[in-house]
Amino acid sequence: MTFETQRIAYFYFLAAVLLFALQVVFGLLSLAKYLGPDPLLGVMHFATTKAVHTNLLLVWCLTGFMGAAYYMVPDESRTEIYSPKLAYLQLGLWLTIGVVTIVGYLFGITEGRKLLEMPFPLKLGVVVVMGMFLFNILMTIRKANRWTTTEAVLIGGLASAALLFIPALLHFDNYTLDRYYRWWVVHLWVEGVWMLILAAMLAFLLIRLSGADREVMEKWLYVIVGLTFISGILGTGHHYYWIGVPRYWLFAGGFFSALEPLALFAMAVYAYNMLRRSGVSHPNTVALHWTIGSAVFSAIGGGILGFAHTWPQVNQWTHGTHITTMHGHMAFFGAYAMINLAIITYALPGCTGRSDENAQSRLGIWAFWLMVSGMFGMTMALAAAGITQTYLERILGFGYLETQRMIQVHYLMWLTTGVIFATGVGAFVWNFARAGLPVRTVAESAASGPSAAARVGAV
Amino acid sequence: MTKADTRRFFVLGTLLCTVAFIVLTVDSHRTVVAREHSRALGDDVRRGLRVWGVYNCENCHTLLGEGSYYAPDLTQIVAQRGVPYLQAFLADPSAFYSEEEHRRLMPTLGLSAQEIDDAIAFLGWVGGIDTLGWPPRPIRVSGMPTRLPGTETASAASDPVTQGRQVFDATGCGACHSLEPGVMLVGPSLAGIARRAEERVQDAAYTGSAQDAEGYLRESIFEPSAFLAPPAGKHGTADGLSYMPGIYTNTLDPQAADELVAYLLTLQ
Repeated sequence: MTFETQRIAYFYFLAAVLLFALQVVFGLLSLAKYLGPDPLLGVMHFATTKAVHTNLLLVWCLTGFMGAAYYMVPDESRTEIYSPKLAYLQLGLWLTIGVVTIVGYLFGITEGRKLLEMPFPLKLGVVVVMGMFLFNILMTIRKANRWTTTEAVLIGGLASAALLFIPALLHFDNYTLDRYYRWWVVHLWVEGVWMLILAAMLAFLLIRLSGADREVMEKWLYVIVGLTFISGILGTGHHYYWIGVPRYWLFAGGFFSALEPLALFAMAVYAYNMLRRSGVSHPNTVALHWTIGSAVFSAIGGGILGFAHTWPQVNQWTHGTHITTMHGHMAFFGAYAMINLAIITYALPGCTGRSDENAQSRLGIWAFWLMVSGMFGMTMALAAAGITQTYLERILGFGYLETQRMIQVHYLMWLTTGVIFATGVGAFVWNFARAGLPVRTVAESAASGPSAAARVGAV
Repeated sequence: MTKADTRRFFVLGTLLCTVAFIVLTVDSHRTVVAREHSRALGDDVRRGLRVWGVYNCENCHTLLGEGSYYAPDLTQIVAQRGVPYLQAFLADPSAFYSEEEHRRLMPTLGLSAQEIDDAIAFLGWVGGIDTLGWPPRPIRVSGMPTRLPGTETASAASDPVTQGRQVFDATGCGACHSLEPGVMLVGPSLAGIARRAEERVQDAAYTGSAQDAEGYLRESIFEPSAFLAPPAGKHGTADGLSYMPGIYTNTLDPQAADELVAYLLTLQ
């Protein structure tokens, strides 16, 4: 860590890690309900716990992204953050909105559009927070009058994410249109502009962890984000097949979304090549695990498993089954959770100003492998559940309820692997806590290894 | 290839795809709004969408296959179950399903009668959306497969009983009526229905107008509320309306009805 204000990131990461842990608690709670009967039926039924689970995911990932921006922008633009006060105020407001939203859900206050359930006034609050954030970041870059491609892609992604939140504020009486514009937020976020954030964070980490040549990295970064948009924008059509829009979406959605794996595979190949060429010279082995893990997992979860059911002829049978759950879990974890965990473990020693002992700890590596194997197992369990469900319910014509009873064994496996995953999350949280709070000044932290290496890598 | 080249690839590619996406969006939006089905969207449907949202329905159910996978898809539910049944069900789901048997149960949401009617109007409207043929086979809440796909034989195509069985499958009767003895879905099991129909027309408690088993089956299909077989509470509302949709006068042609009845009369 070179700049005093990069420490702001620590507090964003702290919030992100805690919200991540809470997300997993609500995930396990929802999962247990699949095995039923549910003792909490009258108190907190599935719709509530699931909405909390998915909303916390969005909130903690965005918190991590914003923290990442507060860490990366000073490094890239070589300056302090424009207004640290505004950054802390923004975090406070953001978390307040988050807490009010979640508590609201527990009391049944919701708009009920999946992933965008947040009541309208709170959505306006989100717009305000995003405005504060972008203002602060852009003023920082303006002050420095220096910016890199990596940070431009990051900020481009975050600004577009804010812009694409606007359709979430619109209401349509026609359910077809309601669905149509909902995907502008959800799909164009996770399969569009969030990918820019992911690619930029990946490039930043690879440059620092491998000391790879920046010109080459950024050249390929453009190819990756180019492929992302070429496939992802019209690929939105894979959500439009059956919602009541004209038939041409079957072709447009099928063709372009089938190209989506290209960007994800390009990313994995990119990460692999950079490390192979430049070698691994960084002491933060845990961050390295997460970085490579993210590239690989998003290629499998987003690329292969997404491709598996994106073609309309397949999707007509699998649409609305656990095939989607399978793809969603691995893709989201691989792309957005893992890249956040990578930047958090990378930045932590610098932020806290302590040595990188923590960054190489066995516990940190255990956290990685437990989460990775847990998520892999969950994906397998959901694949078995989804394929069986598709065959029994959609093709043979068994009722939904009968099918659910026949796939209970896969739910047991889902629960078992989910517990393994949660253990990994626990290890991660404990390792994060062990790193301690940040020490006061940059001078004290100047001696620490990773920040010195980071500076070397950044040149 | 230089960085400037790849930047050009990114900018041009993104621009082209964005323009194409916006053009398709304008066309789709206009097409959807101009449809007769969209213009038939009433206030009850509008309110029903709010009910659907406020009660967080899609965090358990799917609709048009979108939502969550904890509860059945509801795209065709109004056509499959009919309005009287759904009214009774939404008022108290626990009267129809048991957590012990089905492992999960819909919570009683405390919907007002107005909210229930609006929600059903909304679901009915969604059921009428042109989904390009999705789902390719009906998705049902409960029940066993009535027939495996691809096992239909052409040889007996002219036989009315075989034809009737196909009418039974195509009409979706199996969504509510099991063919296994003693299995109660929404409606009674149809195992042995021919024998029961025979007995029922001769029963003193019978108040319908059928004279024989065939007439009884016809009456049950076309005027399901004409007579509610005991225990009436299981199959109908307090207002004496059967849960069975009264739509078949309009949807079944006379020949199909003959074949269906011929088939049912074989279920001794």
